[in-house]
Amino acid sequence: MAASAADVRSILSLPNAPGTGPPTQAKKPQAAERAKKPEGIPRELYALIGPSIPTMAAQFAKPRLKQKPNIGGGGNVKWEWRPFRNGARTDDLRLSHWVKSSVDPEADYPFAKYNVQTTPYVYSQDEYNRFLEDSNWTKEETDYLFNLVREYDGRFLVVHDRYEYPGGTERPLEDLKDRYFSICRKLVRNRPWPGDEASKAALISTLTFDKDKETLRKQYVASLVNRTPEQIAEEDALYLELERLKENERRFKKDRDELLRTLCGIESGLPDIAVDDDGLAGTTLDTKKKRKAVAGSVEPQTPVTPSASSVIALPQPQPKKSSAKSAAYDALHCIVRTEVEQTAGSSTKAAHVPVHLRTFKMAQPKAAVAPRVSQVVGEVGISATRIVMPTRDNLAKFASVIDAAQQLVEIKKAVDKHEQDIRTTRARLAILRGENPEGEGEALETPMDVEEGEAEGDVEGRGQSVMSTRSARSRKQGRRSMSVSSVDTANGPNKRQKQR
Amino acid sequence: MVNYGGDEVSALVLDFGTSSLRAGYAGDDTPKAIIPTSFGFIEEPAEANGGDVTMGEAGATEGEQPQASKPKVKLYIGQNGPSLWRSGMQIGNPMQDSLIQNFDAIPPLISHALSEVMRCNASEHPVLVTEAAWNSPANRERMAEIMFEEFQVPAFYIANTGVLNAFAAGKGSALVIDVGHSTASVIPVVDGFVLRKGLMHCALPQLVHAHAKHLLTSPTPTRQGIQLIPHQLIASRTPVDAGVPPRFTLREDRRAGTTDSWRAWAENREVEEWIQSIGGVLPQGWNDSAATSQGSRHYEFPTGYNNYFTGVERYAVGEQYFAHSAQLMASNPNLPKTIPSLVTSSIGQCDLDLRQVLLGNVVLTGGGSLFAGFADRLANDMGRAFQHVKIHAPGNPTERRYGGWLGGSILASLGTFHQLWISKEEWQEHGRAIVGQRCK
Repeated sequence: MAASAADVRSILSLPNAPGTGPPTQAKKPQAAERAKKPEGIPRELYALIGPSIPTMAAQFAKPRLKQKPNIGGGGNVKWEWRPFRNGARTDDLRLSHWVKSSVDPEADYPFAKYNVQTTPYVYSQDEYNRFLEDSNWTKEETDYLFNLVREYDGRFLVVHDRYEYPGGTERPLEDLKDRYFSICRKLVRNRPWPGDEASKAALISTLTFDKDKETLRKQYVASLVNRTPEQIAEEDALYLELERLKENERRFKKDRDELLRTLCGIESGLPDIAVDDDGLAGTTLDTKKKRKAVAGSVEPQTPVTPSASSVIALPQPQPKKSSAKSAAYDALHCIVRTEVEQTAGSSTKAAHVPVHLRTFKMAQPKAAVAPRVSQVVGEVGISATRIVMPTRDNLAKFASVIDAAQQLVEIKKAVDKHEQDIRTTRARLAILRGENPEGEGEALETPMDVEEGEAEGDVEGRGQSVMSTRSARSRKQGRRSMSVSSVDTANGPNKRQKQR
Repeated sequence: MVNYGGDEVSALVLDFGTSSLRAGYAGDDTPKAIIPTSFGFIEEPAEANGGDVTMGEAGATEGEQPQASKPKVKLYIGQNGPSLWRSGMQIGNPMQDSLIQNFDAIPPLISHALSEVMRCNASEHPVLVTEAAWNSPANRERMAEIMFEEFQVPAFYIANTGVLNAFAAGKGSALVIDVGHSTASVIPVVDGFVLRKGLMHCALPQLVHAHAKHLLTSPTPTRQGIQLIPHQLIASRTPVDAGVPPRFTLREDRRAGTTDSWRAWAENREVEEWIQSIGGVLPQGWNDSAATSQGSRHYEFPTGYNNYFTGVERYAVGEQYFAHSAQLMASNPNLPKTIPSLVTSSIGQCDLDLRQVLLGNVVLTGGGSLFAGFADRLANDMGRAFQHVKIHAPGNPTERRYGGWLGGSILASLGTFHQLWISKEEWQEHGRAIVGQRCK
C-alpha cells in the first residue's frame, strides 16, 4: 500500500486540506486500521507489510524496562530541622534534628524507649534493724554500697573500682557482691510477695551468690594466671610427654593385637579379624599339614619350624577372668557367660563357638540309649526333644532329668545282664551236673531270649528298641557305664571260648 | 536512621590534646578543624597597638583575643600562630600532663577552632568535650563553666578519651593503650567506664623526645652535634655533602626578636620531625645486628646539614618506649615506665575475671603509636607476657591519631546519648555538681 497524501500530511503534522471529502472519508477506516496496528512497528513498515505478519511485532516492540524503584515513597519528601523533646530527659532541653515533615511533631522521641531503668532495692531503717544487720557492715556503708550499685546499674566491677567508703576498709569484690545479694534475698523473702511462690523462688535464685565458691574460684584463676613462664613451659612439656606416652602405648597395643591376630586368628579373642575366612582356613590348614609333616618326618627340625615354634612359644590368650566387679555387673544385668571351651593348640574354626539358640544345646541322651531314655521321660510326661520354655534353669533341670533317665536305663541294663549271667551259669551248672553238652549253645541262646523277653516283660512295648540298642552298643564304644557292659559282653564270648 | 541508632543533632566534638586541638561535627569521621594547641603570645605592656602589623602578616585565619588578665597579651593561634616568627613572640601550651593547666588560653583556642576554622556558632550546638582519664573534677567543672558561660552552649558533656577510644574501636570493654604527644597511658575500660585503679600513665613520649634531642645535639665520634635551627631563622644555605658541616647564613634581623620559648618550641619541632621521618621500633626487640641491618636513612635539617642515620640511631629512639638501657636506668631512678610495664601493672590492678576480656580487646591509639613497627613490637612483647592477646590497631592514621575525637563523634551522634547531655537549664539549676553526677 503506497503512502497516501493523507499519510504525508500526518507525518508532517499538517492539517488536512479543506474540502477534500473523499480523503477524510478514506482516512476514517485508515485510522481504525492504525488503531489496530501492533505496537512497535513503524507505521510505514506496517503499511508495506500489512497486518499479515504479526510475528515480527515482538521484535520491534519497545523493550519494556523494569520500573525504577521509587525510593522515598514517591514524590518529594520534605525534611525539616525540628526541635524535639526527649522523653528520657527530666529537663526541658530541646535539641533539634532532621525529620520528615510527615512525622508527627508530638510523637515520642524514638530513642526514649531505650532508657530502661532497673528498679533498685531499697530498704527502710526498720527492715534494716530487723534482718539486715551485719557485724562487718554499718548501715551507712551499706547505703553507700547500694547507692553505688544503683549509680552503676549493678556493674560490680565498676562499683568495686569506685568503692571508696571513707574510713572503711578495702573490701574485695566478693564482699560487696555478697552483701548486696544477701540483702536483696532477705528483702525478697521477708516482704509480702504479690506473685506465686515459683516466681519468688525464681527471683531468689537469680540473686544467689556463693561467696566461698567465688573466692575459691578466684583463687584457682589466680593460680592459673600467676604461673611463671617456666611453670607453663613445664606444664606444656608434661602434657606433651603424656601425649607421647599415650601414643606409644596405643601403638604398642595395636602392634600386639596385629601380631596376635596374624598368629592366633580368631582364637585370639580379638575383634575385627581382618583376614578373610578362606585365607584364614587355608593358612590354618597349611600349618596343620606342616605340623603333621613335621611329626611324620624323621628329622625333627624342618625349615618350617621357625613359624611352628613361634606358634608354640606364643602364650595362649588368657580366658577372660571375671573380676568381682564384672561378676557383680553381670548379676545386675542378668548376663550369663558361657565358658568357651578352649581346645589347646588347635587353631581350627571348629573350635569357635558361634552364636546359637539355647535349644540347640539341649541335653541329648547318648545315641545308644536315646530311644529308651526318651521312652522313660515320656512315661513321666516329658518330651525328650522339646521344652516349652527353654530357660537356662529349665535346660539344666532337663539335662539332669535326661541324665537320671539315662543312668536308670543303664543300671537296668546292667541288672539284666547280671541276671542273664546268673541264669546261664546256672544252666551250665545244670549241664555239668548231667545234661548233654550240645544243648549248651541253645542254652546260651535261650537265656538271652529269655532275658530279652523278661526285659520286654518289665517294660512293655520296648522289644524292638532293645535289639537296636544292643547292636548300637556293640558297634560303638561307650564310656564308663558302657564299658562295664561291654566288658561283660566281651567277657561272655571269652568265657565261652575258654570253655570251648 | 533508627536502624543504627544514630540521631544527629549537629553536636560539636572538641578533643584537646597536647599537640593539637581537634574540633568537628558529631557524625563525621574526621575532625573539621585541627589546630595546634601551642599558641604564640606577645605581652603588651600598655595600649601600644602593634597588632595591626602582625594582623596583616598573619592573615585572616588568625584568631586574636586580647586577654582580660593583668598583663595584656596578644594571642596567635592556629596554623599560622606559633609557626610564624614574630618578634618577641613567646610560645605557650595550656596542657601539661595531658590536663589543661592554663585555662586562660582555652576560650581563645576553642573560639578559634569553632568560629575561625569551622565558622559555626557554639551557642547553636551541643558540645561534647574530651578529657584525660585522670582529669580532676575541678578541671572538668571549669571546662563546663567555660562552655556554658562563655560560649553559651545549649548542652554540654565531657567524656573520657579512654572510653571514647574504646568506642571508636567499636568496643565497650577494652584495654586502651594511648601514646600521645606528651603522655603514654594504659586505660582499662569496662562497659564504658574507666577502671581508675588500673589506670596508668606516664610521660614516656617526653623521654623519647628528650632522648632523640640528646642524640642529635650531642657530638659523636663520626659527627659534630647538630644545630637544630628552624628554617624561620635561616636566610640562605648552600647544599653540602652528607656529614659535612652545613654552610648557611642566619637571619640577623630576627636574632634579637627570637624568644627562648619560641626557639625551644621550634627546636622541638625539628626533633619531632626527625623522629617521625626516620625513627622506628624493632618489631622483635632490641638487637644490635638487627638494628644495623635495617640500614641507614638520609635526613636533611633546615640548616642544610644532612647525613645518613644508621639503623642503630634510628631504632634506639623507638626502643625507649619498650625498654630502657641499663645505664639510663642506673643514672635516673625516676624514669617513666615503659609501655610493657605500664600494661603489666595496669592488668595487675584489674580483677582476674577481667584480665582475659581486656587482653582480648587491646586498642592501640594515639599519634605516638604510629611509629614504624610499634604495633608489631607491642604485639610481640604482650604475646610473650600474656596469653591470648588481641590488639586492635587501626591502620588508618586519622583513626589512630584522632581516636578520641572519633569516639566522641560516634557517641554524640547516637540517639540514646541525647538524654545524657547536661543542658544549660540543668547547669543553672544544679551548678557545678551536675558535671560529676552526669559524666561518670
